[in-house]
Amino acid sequence: MAQSNMLAMILAGGRGSRLHDLTNKVAKPAVSYGGKYRIIDFPLSNCANSGVDIVGVLTQYESVLLNSYVAAGGRWGLDTKDSGVFVLTPREKADSGLDVYRGTADAISQNIDFIDAYDPEYLLILSGDHIYKMNYDKMLRFHKEQGADATIAVRGVPMREASRFGIMNTDGEGRIIEFEEKPAKPKSNLASMGIYIFTWKTLRKLLVEDMKNPDSDHDFGKDIIPVMLNGGKKLCAYEFSGYWKDVGTIDSLWEANMDLLDSDNELNLDDTSWKIYTEDSGIVPQYIASTAKIDGAYINQGAAVGGTVQRSVIFTNCKIAPGAKVIDSVLMPGAIVEEGAVVTRALVAENVRIGKNAKVGDKKSEEILLVAKNVKGED
Amino acid sequence: MANKAFGVINSAANYIRVEGLHDYRPIGAFTFIGRFRVIDFPLSNMSNSGINRIHVYLNSRPRSIVEHIGSGRHYNINSKRGNLQLLFTQNNGANSIYNTDITAYMENLEQIERMPQDYVIIAPSYMVYKQDYQKLLDDHVEAGNDITILYHKVDQAKEYYRACNVVELNKQKGVQSITRNMGTAKDKNISMDTYVMKKDLFVALIKKAKRESSAYSLADIIALSCDTLDIRGYQHKGYFAAITSLDDYYRANMELLDYATAMDFFKQDWPFYTKTTDACPTQYFQGAKVTNSMVCNAALIEGTVENSIIGRHVHIGKGAIVKNSIILSYADISDGTYIENAVIDKWVKVKNVKKIVSESVTPAYIKRNDVL
Repeated sequence: MAQSNMLAMILAGGRGSRLHDLTNKVAKPAVSYGGKYRIIDFPLSNCANSGVDIVGVLTQYESVLLNSYVAAGGRWGLDTKDSGVFVLTPREKADSGLDVYRGTADAISQNIDFIDAYDPEYLLILSGDHIYKMNYDKMLRFHKEQGADATIAVRGVPMREASRFGIMNTDGEGRIIEFEEKPAKPKSNLASMGIYIFTWKTLRKLLVEDMKNPDSDHDFGKDIIPVMLNGGKKLCAYEFSGYWKDVGTIDSLWEANMDLLDSDNELNLDDTSWKIYTEDSGIVPQYIASTAKIDGAYINQGAAVGGTVQRSVIFTNCKIAPGAKVIDSVLMPGAIVEEGAVVTRALVAENVRIGKNAKVGDKKSEEILLVAKNVKGED
Repeated sequence: MANKAFGVINSAANYIRVEGLHDYRPIGAFTFIGRFRVIDFPLSNMSNSGINRIHVYLNSRPRSIVEHIGSGRHYNINSKRGNLQLLFTQNNGANSIYNTDITAYMENLEQIERMPQDYVIIAPSYMVYKQDYQKLLDDHVEAGNDITILYHKVDQAKEYYRACNVVELNKQKGVQSITRNMGTAKDKNISMDTYVMKKDLFVALIKKAKRESSAYSLADIIALSCDTLDIRGYQHKGYFAAITSLDDYYRANMELLDYATAMDFFKQDWPFYTKTTDACPTQYFQGAKVTNSMVCNAALIEGTVENSIIGRHVHIGKGAIVKNSIILSYADISDGTYIENAVIDKWVKVKNVKKIVSESVTPAYIKRNDVL
């Protein structure tokens, strides 16, 4: 922790059941996004770019792939002597049995020993399922300037949608005076992004007390934040205005992919001053054949396109045969669309094959079709 | 498992000169099909063959290669159980005839003599091919040869491979002579400048060459040893390119636009490693028209691209047409520009000149950083 004296913990736990078959075998943060990335590349790259060198990734659901993926910290440049990425799953300890993480706060509490080993001054808590670019160091500077005990990143959402979020009511100078989880009648439109900076000493004490409280759900939103507000601690709201997307559902994941087709998209993955790092497969550039027609697309290396692609995102190693059509769709790594097949308004999962002349998806459908199994073709 | 051989990656001979591109970097650092560097191929061949002690020779303008190779970790070389050593050579005086590989080996003789392996595999950094060196070594040891030379049978030796050597073989694949390709016949066995031999013989040849002439190269001294040593040829099959001129560079890249050729060369069981730049995927805008092309990541394509190789972070503007060309990284081809049969080097901006066309077989070359 040579740089910021802040340690990050990424809450990567959830099963992510609203992503259905995409998370049958992998934790949500390891789900593919954006042609070449996985969702967790975003918080990890943000940490690396912000000078946060030690990152714990907290998970209990299907941790194997996530572990093999993030433990190679070199992908994000987090592999020096003073840096590292650690997957922290529930474990048996000398003074307690093996227990699952009971809530977001409990997941941190059960790893107090890990955090203490690095003796950080500040703790950054992140979600593993959001797509955004953010400089956490700027947020830390704000936290220090305010002399806050906790700083919560917030973003303005349309007032009519505010009741879907955790809403922060501030005193006009940025100090949070009230926190309401999904309020029926929101007083403000400042929604919590699930990104917190805590002064570690303060939080540590509260976590130890929270662990002993049988009535607690051991959750940051439900328990820790209210206790801090009631106890007169200083909580500040840090406003963020850039691109931010929660990709917890098939529709939102599809949408976040589609956002990349807009050349002026706010996320701007092309910005070399804030790279999003990921696994590199050392594969050939994308090949666009003589038979191909491409009309608006975001395509990664290793893909081979012989057919028609319209307004779609095509990941690594996808193959689209001559005569096939992919429209308003997302093809995840290794997906294959055979001759004559048509894919419309669909999200095709990794390595899924759409057989000859098969038709999947519907341009009139409101919902995006998830294709998670091979589709048989017709001759 | 420790390999019985260590690897040596040599630079191109001093008489090989690639017009334009070579002014800025050695051939090993040339970009190949947009995302690789030429040196990735010999290094990956060695790494995939289980060779994990590798000497890489660098002479002039080594910066780009040093940056690209780094610690060698992306070639799957673990620094605790192997390493890539970058060996520098001084430029010896004004006359380039003294800048031979033998001079470089002499300067680093101590490093060579200290290698614990019994055998050495020497490969050039100006050729692109795939070869299992373990198999080459096993066959060499089993046959009991003094030296095994890798060669490729070509039928275009009149037009191409002009700076390469040709091996003359007898029926037992014994090498009878090694001479420069003079373009006298179309069918030739081109030397791939790749040799397997015992380390002791390698050291002896280096010393002998030094004694005989300051201008000798390793190829020269091996050629002179055809009568006294048992030197055999080993035929290579598959894709092979020798980057010894701008024409060769252009043709070698273009050959891989044939998808079947490319897929035969790039196979999952034999990965070619390279340094990642973490570039995002490529954006095709409405109105873009791309056919038979290889396109690297982070390109922005608004115009038309045909039979071309487009490098990373290249922008092809609206209404621009790029045909039969190689556009290297970060080049910006403005709206309405027409480019045909050209090699556009890195960071070039084509904005005021509206047409770049080479009528001849030799492509037009636009210098690095140029604004046209």
